[in-house]
Amino acid sequence: MQRRLRIAVPYFVMGLAVIVSTGVIFETPRWAIWFLFAVLFVLLEFFAVEVNDRQFQSSSIMVVMTAGVIFAIKSDATFAMALMAAMAMLTPLDLKERRWFQPMANFGQLALSGAVAGFILDANLGLLEGTVGTTDLVRVAVASTLAAAAYVTVNNLLVHRAVRTVYPNDNLHPWSQMHVLLGGQAAMGLLGGLIGAAYLIADRPAILVLFVGVYGIGHMSLYAFSQLRASHLGAIRGFVKTLEAKDMYTRGHTERVAYFAQLIGEELAFTGTQLETVKWAALIHDLGKLAVPTELIRKKGRLDDGEYDEMKSHAHLVEEILAEVDFLQPMVDIASGHHSHYDGNGYGGRGHKEGHTPSLEACIVAVADSFDAMTSARSYRMALSQQYALAELRRHAGGQFHPDVVDAFERALAKTGRRWGARHSNDEEMARRLAEEPELTLRG
Amino acid sequence: MAEWSPRATAALSWSFPVLALAMGGLSATQAASTPLYMLVASLGLILASMVGVATSDSGNRLTTGIAVASAIPVVFSGGYGVDTAGALACYGFGMAGLWAIRHFSGERHEELLPTMLRRLGGYIAYVMVYSAMRVGVLTDLSGGWEDLIPFFGAVAAWLGVEVVLRALLILGPRELSRAYLARALIQDLNVFVGLALTGALFGELFLALGWWALPIALLPYSFAHAAFKRFQETKVTYKQTIRALARIPEVSGLGVDGHADRTTALATSIAKELGLGPHQVEALEFAGLMHDIGRVSLNEPQILKMGYTDDDIARWSAEIIAESPYLDKVALDVRRQYEPYRKPGQQDDPEISIISRIIKVAAAYDWRVHLEGDTPLSALETLHAGAAYEYDPEVVASLRRLLQTRGILSRPVRV
Repeated sequence: MQRRLRIAVPYFVMGLAVIVSTGVIFETPRWAIWFLFAVLFVLLEFFAVEVNDRQFQSSSIMVVMTAGVIFAIKSDATFAMALMAAMAMLTPLDLKERRWFQPMANFGQLALSGAVAGFILDANLGLLEGTVGTTDLVRVAVASTLAAAAYVTVNNLLVHRAVRTVYPNDNLHPWSQMHVLLGGQAAMGLLGGLIGAAYLIADRPAILVLFVGVYGIGHMSLYAFSQLRASHLGAIRGFVKTLEAKDMYTRGHTERVAYFAQLIGEELAFTGTQLETVKWAALIHDLGKLAVPTELIRKKGRLDDGEYDEMKSHAHLVEEILAEVDFLQPMVDIASGHHSHYDGNGYGGRGHKEGHTPSLEACIVAVADSFDAMTSARSYRMALSQQYALAELRRHAGGQFHPDVVDAFERALAKTGRRWGARHSNDEEMARRLAEEPELTLRG
Repeated sequence: MAEWSPRATAALSWSFPVLALAMGGLSATQAASTPLYMLVASLGLILASMVGVATSDSGNRLTTGIAVASAIPVVFSGGYGVDTAGALACYGFGMAGLWAIRHFSGERHEELLPTMLRRLGGYIAYVMVYSAMRVGVLTDLSGGWEDLIPFFGAVAAWLGVEVVLRALLILGPRELSRAYLARALIQDLNVFVGLALTGALFGELFLALGWWALPIALLPYSFAHAAFKRFQETKVTYKQTIRALARIPEVSGLGVDGHADRTTALATSIAKELGLGPHQVEALEFAGLMHDIGRVSLNEPQILKMGYTDDDIARWSAEIIAESPYLDKVALDVRRQYEPYRKPGQQDDPEISIISRIIKVAAAYDWRVHLEGDTPLSALETLHAGAAYEYDPEVVASLRRLLQTRGILSRPVRV
């Protein structure tokens, strides 16, 4: 709470100060046009589309830049943009969860971002003194690109700072990757600025309508795309649930492995796409088991050689099942290598090469899978404690497991503060006896 | 339309470029625009028509040519109103050129001719309505909101002509119903309208900014284009995934090899023949692929001991599908496909969707022909015999028409 106040109050006061001072210094915009753009801006912020893991494609920056260029040329942009940006302080999630901290902090950081961007536009385009021609388009393009980049950077830095202060334990990697977004956002800003200038040069409202039309259709398609993607993921999750229904002991296993894999990936500073790939790979890693006879999966005690071979086939089967899904091939490679060992032993399908270290992603899924196998109950033994499981991972680091991955996992797990596995740590002797089943890690 | 012989089709097809060139030439003599502009516009139309846009698998092949065609009359206007003749000249030359390129790259006349006629028909409707409304509503483009009235009116006319021609112009063997063809375009309406709007945007910008209009109009379009593409790619992937997952029983030796794939292919054809909309066809594909996925439970020791019925498989399949949050409708269709299409003493059971009925017929046909070794004719007769209660007679009739079109049944079957 105190940490939150330490950010929320200064941010909010800063926002107010920015708006009041710019309001005094700079000219106010024509309110009718400002209002039109502000409504559009808030709407786009509300319907931001998630295009990649946690990265939102928001077209709103384009609208702000269009408005900014128009104001910078006609009057002043600094105050108008600060006020407009601050309108985006509320998100649907804030309303749903009735949060107070995020809107307050966002108000401040957005007002400052908007003011900085507006000031850059004013400094560059103020000289035009109200008129703009086609010869000025290059100047407009440069100014709006710069302004958009400044907007994103200030926004990014302030959010980063707030998150680091309030959630010191949280993983900051998703936010530290915002530079990836910078290029896209700057391009959006450029586009928005050009539209604004084109509107002024041509003095044609029809252009704005047509532009919003084309863009709106694109945005709708992107929205449909994100829905479809969610549905695709949902279908795979559904099938995985079916798989787990076969064995009460592995219920929830896949979702947990995906969660652990994501923790490790974030700790290792994976980008959005890499992170997605690992998560999907973790979700499908046991799909091959759907094709393995149920009594084998549930069997108590040792498997004979034939049964063991059949059990091992599940790593290959995932390849066969998903062979025709092009998109999933990188994930299938990882999944089929999740029983490969760091030192080149183990078994697996395409992703496993005898004597070679499997891919980093496969090592991640292997660690996540083994950890969950140890910390949850099995038909042949009780759940082990987290302490024991981590010790076991460390003991085999460099052999079965990738040492960097084990390190990263320990760090990430410590940051979450959650505990997995048996509450009471078994005494060493007991735990070892329970765990000394040969299939321990193979049956994950 | 009766079926045309290949020679007649070829002759008809060859007359297209001749007539299009004639139309172009005649219009060009009346045009107010300069020959250079018309040349650039015609070449632009040809080039843009070769760039496809990702659309759904409805069979629509939309190209960026739509944007160029929509831009031409907007650009070709001035104080005198719209240069209708100039625009018609560009359409004529452009489509003749496009016909030549597509013909010499090996496209068959049965497909080429209807596509070309449809496109040209749509373009002509568009420019005619646009010119007429410009005369009626406004003479000069001021760039105000009212500019958009003739444009939207003309796009509506264009779309109407496209839909009608799409349903009417079918050469060669006909498996798809007219209703399906007409509805298929509606599914890609967003792409179509997006392209037409881009064209108008370019036109409006061009009047004010000259060639600066090109990059500025391309920017929002490229965003929309990328969105269409991602959507389409995800759709393909999704279908591949469902198909792959549906094969799990087969991979583990519990299913029937190829049954789900064949049933789905046949069911989809029946649905298109019956004139279902593209969305329904899609739902049907999913349901068809997964209708036997419940067989994955057949290695449960308990089930093997207790025995099971086909009804159990339908139920298990539905239960598995229902685990996916977005597929609950598909689960219902799969659950119902095992039930008879009507209850005893009732005309119809409205709870059994058309999708369930089609899958029931297609699956039964495939089972008889491919697993029990029946001839297509006797399989169809079995279905006919069950038409009083089990199988929807309309679906069975559609299957019969389909098999006749494909030449699988040489003579009409009598009930």
